[in-house]
Amino acid sequence: MRVARQVWSGVYNLILGLVTVFKHLGHKAITLQYPDERMPMFERSRGVVVLLSDPETGKLNCTACLLCARACPVSAISIVQGTDPDTGKRYPEKFEIDNTICAFCGLCEEACNFDAIKLTGKYEFSVYDQKLLQYDRDFLQELGRGVPYEKRKRPAPKAKAAPKADPTSPKPEKPTSPKPEESPKESPGEDKPEA
Amino acid sequence: MFELEGIFNAVGNFLASFLGSPLLQIVSIIAVATVVIGFLMVLALFLVWWERKLSADFQVRIGPMRTGPHGVLQTIADALKLLQKEDIVPLTADKKVFFWAPVICFVTCFLAYICIPFGKGLIARDLNIGILYIVAITTFTVISLLMAGWASNNKYSLLGGMRSAAQIVSYEVPLSLSLLGAVMLAQSLSMVTIVQGQGGSFLHWYIWRQPLGFLLYVTAATAEVNRTPFDIPEAEQELVAGYNIEYSGMKFAMFFLAEFINMFTVCAIAATLFLGGWNPPFEFLSFIPSWVWFLGKSLLLVFVLMWFRWTFPRLRVDHLMAFAWKFLLPLAFLNIIVTGFLIYLFE
Repeated sequence: MRVARQVWSGVYNLILGLVTVFKHLGHKAITLQYPDERMPMFERSRGVVVLLSDPETGKLNCTACLLCARACPVSAISIVQGTDPDTGKRYPEKFEIDNTICAFCGLCEEACNFDAIKLTGKYEFSVYDQKLLQYDRDFLQELGRGVPYEKRKRPAPKAKAAPKADPTSPKPEKPTSPKPEESPKESPGEDKPEA
Repeated sequence: MFELEGIFNAVGNFLASFLGSPLLQIVSIIAVATVVIGFLMVLALFLVWWERKLSADFQVRIGPMRTGPHGVLQTIADALKLLQKEDIVPLTADKKVFFWAPVICFVTCFLAYICIPFGKGLIARDLNIGILYIVAITTFTVISLLMAGWASNNKYSLLGGMRSAAQIVSYEVPLSLSLLGAVMLAQSLSMVTIVQGQGGSFLHWYIWRQPLGFLLYVTAATAEVNRTPFDIPEAEQELVAGYNIEYSGMKFAMFFLAEFINMFTVCAIAATLFLGGWNPPFEFLSFIPSWVWFLGKSLLLVFVLMWFRWTFPRLRVDHLMAFAWKFLLPLAFLNIIVTGFLIYLFE
């Protein structure tokens, strides 16, 4: 009797296992065939850093204020400031990101007041030569084309700042007095654009 | 109209029209052997692919996808790769035995197909001792496995070979005894007579009169072809690969294909003896050619064996032996006794 019960329990459990396995036949695998299919990256994913351009004019949003370079904990960003002789506006003459040391922390994006720099969902940047990972301005601009971004709300005077052609710095918004132009160190504390 | 018997007969008659009697015999033997071996090679390649796809499905993966649509050409690519590989013979191996082991394994797995009825009239030779011949010839596999294990001069190979010898010899006993029930019902050892005895509707199949025999056969056959849960001869975790560990290239491919052909053999025997062979389940379905029914039933059983493989864990060696001698063997004897008693009672 005990043997019969044991045999029955064994057979029952074998059938239970078979049924469980059979149920998995109908499941659809979630596997993605990587080079053919890609997982859509999330909006806030932190991949390669890009420079954003104004979708209308196609020019870089960057004003070479150096805030991102200062915020960068590994000093991956190096900027050379330049001034546009026509408008008197600052622009980055050189903007290089060393992607070999970039930690994808996102502090540069947080520091930026002009929607100029952003971490994207792009992640395929393996190359055979380490030197190719020194991204220059034009390459970063190309990477940033078509990257959607939300314009931060700025206080109204922002539009005024440009025509006024304050050559020193378009960064400080009207209400805050001309002070920040001389001391960009203070600017990280300035959270006006986000307000 | 899709029966292949007519085609083969027509070809035979065509050959007979201009060939003399001894020549005709030789030509027809070679032709039949070529057709059967070609079919089995394609089938083995398909089974390897199917096994990989099924295991992927059971594990919610997708399996081979890159070579051909859904990876159907994957095994062909694998076979071609194995053909190109260097044939490595271990320095300390017994060269002759090492060479002949895969050959014997490969040849014996085809020998069983001499008397397996693929369909109505599709049988190479209807021996009057058909099933006895098959049971006898498939046991040759164990010799080749033992040869491979011994000649490799490798402890894992030797252990694998010894284990498979012990296992196959043990399970041969309940396997043969479980077939006896069906043979008693058909009153014949000939495969064709056994199939014809199950004609009519599916209620005439021997599985209804031999349920215990069928279960015993499937269990013993799983062990006979070294498949999980009875795959201790090639237990990866203990023996790396078992008897074929030192083999590479085409010799390995021969072992590998022989394994899958053997699996189809046991399923074909089960389909013939218990599931009515090439008989359709209902009379009105007989417009579908008989070889389709035979292949369908065999592949269904192959599916069950693969299903077992991806469900059950491997048995321990002593459990395996105890299961064969203490459980399957008494049940097989019981099956024969009950069958004989019932036959005496009703006929």
